[in-house]
Amino acid sequence: MTSSSADATLSRRQLLKVATALGLSTAALGLRPAWANPDGISNVYPHGAVQGRDISLAVRRESLPIAGRQGRPITLNGTSPGPLIRLREGDDASLKVVNLLDEDTSVHWHGLILPPEMDGVPGISFAGIAPGQAFTARFPVNQNGTYWYHSHSGLQEQLGHAGPMIIDAAEPEPFSYDREHVLLLTDWTFEEPTDVFRHLKVAEGYYNYQERTIADFFNDVAKNGLADTLAQRSMWEQMRMSSRDIADVTGSTYTYLMNGHAPRDNWTALFNPGEKLRLRIINGSAMSYFDVRIPGLKMTVVAADGQPVQPVPVDELRIAVAETYDVLVEPEVSRAYTIFAEAMDRSGYARATLAPRLGMVAPIPERRRIADRGMEAMAGHGGMEHSSMSGMDHSSMQGMDHSSMQGMDHSSMQGMDHSSMQGMDHSSMQNTTTAGGLLPAGTAQPGSRYDQPGIGIDPQERHVLTYRDLKAYSPWPDRRPPGRELELQLTGNMERYMWSFDGKKFSEVDGPILFKHGERLRLIFFNTTMMEHPIHLHGMWMELENGAGELIPRKHTLNVKPGERVSALVSADAPGSWAFHCHLLYHMDAGMFRVVRVA
Amino acid sequence: MRQLLLAITLGLTATAALAGPGHDGGEQDIPESEIDRTIEVKAGDLWFKPDDLSIAPGETVKFVIENIGQIEHEFVIGAADEQQEHREMMQDMASSDGGHHDMSADHHSTGDNVMPAVTVASGETKTLVWTAPDTANHDLIYACNIPGHFEGGMHGELNVKD
Repeated sequence: MTSSSADATLSRRQLLKVATALGLSTAALGLRPAWANPDGISNVYPHGAVQGRDISLAVRRESLPIAGRQGRPITLNGTSPGPLIRLREGDDASLKVVNLLDEDTSVHWHGLILPPEMDGVPGISFAGIAPGQAFTARFPVNQNGTYWYHSHSGLQEQLGHAGPMIIDAAEPEPFSYDREHVLLLTDWTFEEPTDVFRHLKVAEGYYNYQERTIADFFNDVAKNGLADTLAQRSMWEQMRMSSRDIADVTGSTYTYLMNGHAPRDNWTALFNPGEKLRLRIINGSAMSYFDVRIPGLKMTVVAADGQPVQPVPVDELRIAVAETYDVLVEPEVSRAYTIFAEAMDRSGYARATLAPRLGMVAPIPERRRIADRGMEAMAGHGGMEHSSMSGMDHSSMQGMDHSSMQGMDHSSMQGMDHSSMQGMDHSSMQNTTTAGGLLPAGTAQPGSRYDQPGIGIDPQERHVLTYRDLKAYSPWPDRRPPGRELELQLTGNMERYMWSFDGKKFSEVDGPILFKHGERLRLIFFNTTMMEHPIHLHGMWMELENGAGELIPRKHTLNVKPGERVSALVSADAPGSWAFHCHLLYHMDAGMFRVVRVA
Repeated sequence: MRQLLLAITLGLTATAALAGPGHDGGEQDIPESEIDRTIEVKAGDLWFKPDDLSIAPGETVKFVIENIGQIEHEFVIGAADEQQEHREMMQDMASSDGGHHDMSADHHSTGDNVMPAVTVASGETKTLVWTAPDTANHDLIYACNIPGHFEGGMHGELNVKD
């Protein structure tokens, strides 16, 4: 089935030949729609598509215009983001990556179930691809849906080393459509990623221009009184956080792109009125969560992370870094609609237009104001009211480790208005232990907040997708209950820009996390930080225990909100070493990364 | 707003109670002799086969709906705009409820009209007897109005014509 890949050192001449061939084909692809929908023309992805049994990607660093300026992204076949890779379920993929950079590179096929040596993570799956070398990933394609690919070397992903991947289904999918478009969201900076990282290390809040000001302070005093205001401020200081740390890299350096286009480019996805469109939304950004909506259109969510889910009509959805969602929309009127992807911290947006012809525009919605983590984050912090904890049985609260809450002074929290902490479910905290000590499969963990879309979203304003809405059509094949639980704390120190699992950076841990081959286990992530973390496991699906019982959805990336406890079932059926990490690029690089070894 | 929605919910419940079995409407007391035609419809995830039908004015049809999908579906007959109105209302109610509304309850009435409807669980078969209007009508459709299912593709044209 899987042949091992051939690493070939190419001569300079061969290299040029390959590069020229790839360059030319890209130019040709750019001129006309590369992939035609049988129901009509489609510009499914504006950077062209590559498909078939033998696909090649040439990786270079070159100058390209981005948002009207000259940028130096990493390109794949001459574009950044790279081309759409289109595979067929049931085929054998052959994906050759030619490294024309002057440093090592790699490509990870995000969300694909494949042999570990094809997974594309340097130092874990394989050695990486040295300059002037090529690597061919060969694997059987046993799934379908919307995915993406990106570099797993250093900070290259921030330079646009990413692209969309679609796998066409062998059997009919549980929904129909006339036309499709890919919407790939990325965050671009004209700074070198290493400089971004250095800025984060030396000055917390470097990119946060929305810090609370003295004016905010007086407003708070007027609203909450002086004592409460001071108490809150000191709390945030002791946590070494700002209540406006919604994102650590923001629109002050980022230009948010949709399919590689800045908002002012007005990239347009075409439709004919009455057509049903499938939009394949991919968050391929390094650090940015987006809230996506199309004013005037209902979106029906039909797949999450490439996997079909029972349809959910929504007005807006939040997409964490590395997630994908497929939605159906049916614009009946011959008019333009704005596809609006607002950054979670409200520091900017990506935008495209859905229109019957090119050159049309629709109004751009007003940006919402930045949210303040304030009480929301504290509610999340353990998801409970601290004053009420005295009467509870602390021994049954798995995952609550107060000692790990560095810098938190509980006494200073007395001044907080606990009544405003939504999302706390004290009754469920008492049910933590059942017979055998584990909750039944599919049950939401105490401390989870799956029915909340997250910070900065008002669920009363419009219907926003939540994890609670996601339901599979039928149970996934392995229906065994978990044999054990493994709880990991998501930990961090914003001021020193240290991010880790269980308080240990990747460089500080002794060895991999061990899964026993064939076992069924429950992973629990307890986010003790004040930021969202998208947690990604390579090589195996995570079945998100969102309370849907046997119909829990399976995902490759799980968003864990501040203070939240999220759990997933895993079938450890893929022997080998796999990457496991926070998909915020600088968090991963800072140490929020582990190796999972299945043996 | 919440109060209004609550009122609507109560209204629907009352209607449903009056309408009796409603979604099990297949078991109406209509003798076989009055049935002009039997049409088999397959309901899947998320489609109907056939996906359009032509029926003569005044014809009495027995629909035999088999759900070969993995989840519950409905088969509802009504004018396209009424069905749309109904779907939107159901979705609004679902959103105000965090999306966990039980959609299987009887709810297919807007204004004076009760739309003929049957709910079919996965793997089950149900029947629905329906008499076409006496005049040609091109606005009728059959649909599944469980949130998202129509949008996924579960609808078909029901042409009443000679």
